[in-house]
Parts: sequence; C-alpha cells; structure tokens
Amino acid sequence: MSRYDVNVLLYRLKKDRGFREQFRRDPRAVLAAADLTDDEREAFVRWNPRRLNELGGSLHLVLSIPDLGAH
Amino acid sequence: MGQIVYAAAMSHVLHPPYYEKNVGPHGKRMVEELIAVVAAMGRELAARRPDALVIIADDHLNVFSFDAVPAMCVRIGRSVSRMAQEGAIEFDRALDGLAERYPLHEDLAQRILEDGLEAGFDFAASWSAPLDHAFLSPLSVLHGERPMTPLVPFWVNCFVAPMPSARRCYAAGQHIARVVANGPWKVAVVATGGLSHFPELSLARVGESDPEFDRRVVGWMERGDHESLTALTAKELHTTGSHELLNWMVLLGAVGPVPARVRFFGEMGRIDLAALDWDASP
Repeated sequence: MSRYDVNVLLYRLKKDRGFREQFRRDPRAVLAAADLTDDEREAFVRWNPRRLNELGGSLHLVLSIPDLGAH
Repeated sequence: MGQIVYAAAMSHVLHPPYYEKNVGPHGKRMVEELIAVVAAMGRELAARRPDALVIIADDHLNVFSFDAVPAMCVRIGRSVSRMAQEGAIEFDRALDGLAERYPLHEDLAQRILEDGLEAGFDFAASWSAPLDHAFLSPLSVLHGERPMTPLVPFWVNCFVAPMPSARRCYAAGQHIARVVANGPWKVAVVATGGLSHFPELSLARVGESDPEFDRRVVGWMERGDHESLTALTAKELHTTGSHELLNWMVLLGAVGPVPARVRFFGEMGRIDLAALDWDASP
C-alpha cells in the first residue's frame, strides 16, 4: 500500500485545479510516474473514491475534491 | 496573575444547509437549536471580557498535507486568514461571507509555544496556516456581530494516524493552563469538533454515529471523570468516529477535573451534536 503517494495525489487533486483538469482528461498519463500499486492506480483511473479510501486515502480528501468529491 | 475566564467545547459544523442536505429537515432543525445555544454561550463569553481566546481544533487536510502533519501546532504571528478553497465542500461553505483576516494574540501564542518546548512539548509552529470551518464556524457564532477576540489557534492532529494520545492532549491542556496562570491575561479556551461521526474514517460508514458512546463520554464530562476520558484509546476513538475528542482532551486538561455543564446534546444519526461549558471562575 502506498499510503503517502495515494494521499499526495488526492491532496493535489483537491488543491491544484490544473492538475485536476489534466487528471480528468487523461488519468493514466497523469499517474504514469506515481509510485502506486495496480489496485491503487485502477481506483484512481476509474475514480472510485470508496476504494481509494479503503486503500488508505484520507476520508477528508476523498470527500472534498472539487467536482470529484464523494460526498 | 492570569486566569482562564471561560471554557467551552462544541461541535463545529454550525451550518444548517449542510445538515439539511445530508440529513434532512430534522438535521437542520437540530443544528439551528445548537446555533442558538452557542450564540447564547457567546454572550456569556463576551461578558467575561477575555484578552485572548485559545481555540483548539483539527485540520481536515485543508492546511497540512501528508508531507508533514504536526501532532500539535501553535499558530503564531499577528493575524490569521480564513481558508480559501475553490469548490469548497459544504462544511467549509460555513466560511462564505466571513471576514478574511482575524487578529492573533501574539504574546500568549509565543508563551504557549516557547514554554511548551522548554517543558518538553515539541509543538510545531506555523506562521501561515489559515483557519477552516473547525475554527471559524464556532467562532463566528460565538462572536455574532462583536469583534473577534484575539486568537491563539491550536491544532491537534485528529485524522492522520498515528495521532497523539488522549493523555498527551490532556497534558498539553495542563500546560496551557500553567502558561495562562503565569501570565497577565484573562483567557477563554474553546475546543471544537465531534461528537461521533465518520467511524473508522470509512467512506462506506459516513452517516453512522455512536450515540451510546457519546452519552457515556458526555456523562464522564458531567461528572468530571477525567480518568475515564483520558484512558480512551486511539482504537476506541477511531472505531466510534470520535477522533475530534482529542481537541476536547486539551480543553479538559486546561480546566481540570471539574464537572461540565451540558448546554446542548442532540442525537442526529449522521453525527451527534453537543455544546458544553465549564465553570472556569476561580
């Protein structure tokens, strides 16, 4: 489990609009250099906040990413 | 000689639209009742004419990131801003329309920090951290139209494991009380957050609370049973969704084992709401 990397990505998605837009356009490309397990990468690509939370993603991050939040 | 002239703890999303959307009319009504109680508490706070207000709350991954999460952090400097978050979650819409900057009580903050390090509390210091709803939602209701009391914001890491223990938070509160006693100021102390919600910080369990646990905890506070409160483990706080009680532990340490007065207690389902105060007069 890459708890740090998952949360760094979630934090950046919350705070950095440009990064968020790139992610929405091409998530695989944005995640290419990230140190994630296959499971984590799939949860990002398919945007599955519940799975990201199960994999160690902070609840308060997955709840609060503009336009992608799980709330 | 300084003195704690006011002490209270309360839930910190004092924003009816959030509960209306996520709980329904019953949630909205309940938080409106709580807001009326907190506003009345604010008038009592103002009557004590504090020089400074220490406010103890948590960060919701708004301010600190996984790059570094301080166990406890004192905000120093001369003023503090309201958090700006584009596309803010409903919690933080409670901040819309509030003032953008607030005064800090620089001298008290500095004493808590420096005397803390001297006494073995390795507090972090921040010159720039802004305040989210956990601070400003209760502060804005407590102050109403009155000017903001100069603040000492104090963060406790309630959400990024491993968190500080209940006992350590309590000890930090005892330290704050010693600093106040040794200084010249009249000080209010307010802790925010809770009661139980978001058990295990699991998205699948958002919507659950643990009223039985909340009744027990509030009962201990009413009886001044701080032994039972500080014996709560990280696992118990996590399982029940009571992470934010760590903020309350700091306040309990500051006031000592005197009985609390329950001003509001409401079981909502998604979260249980409360407001308590402590007789801080000597």
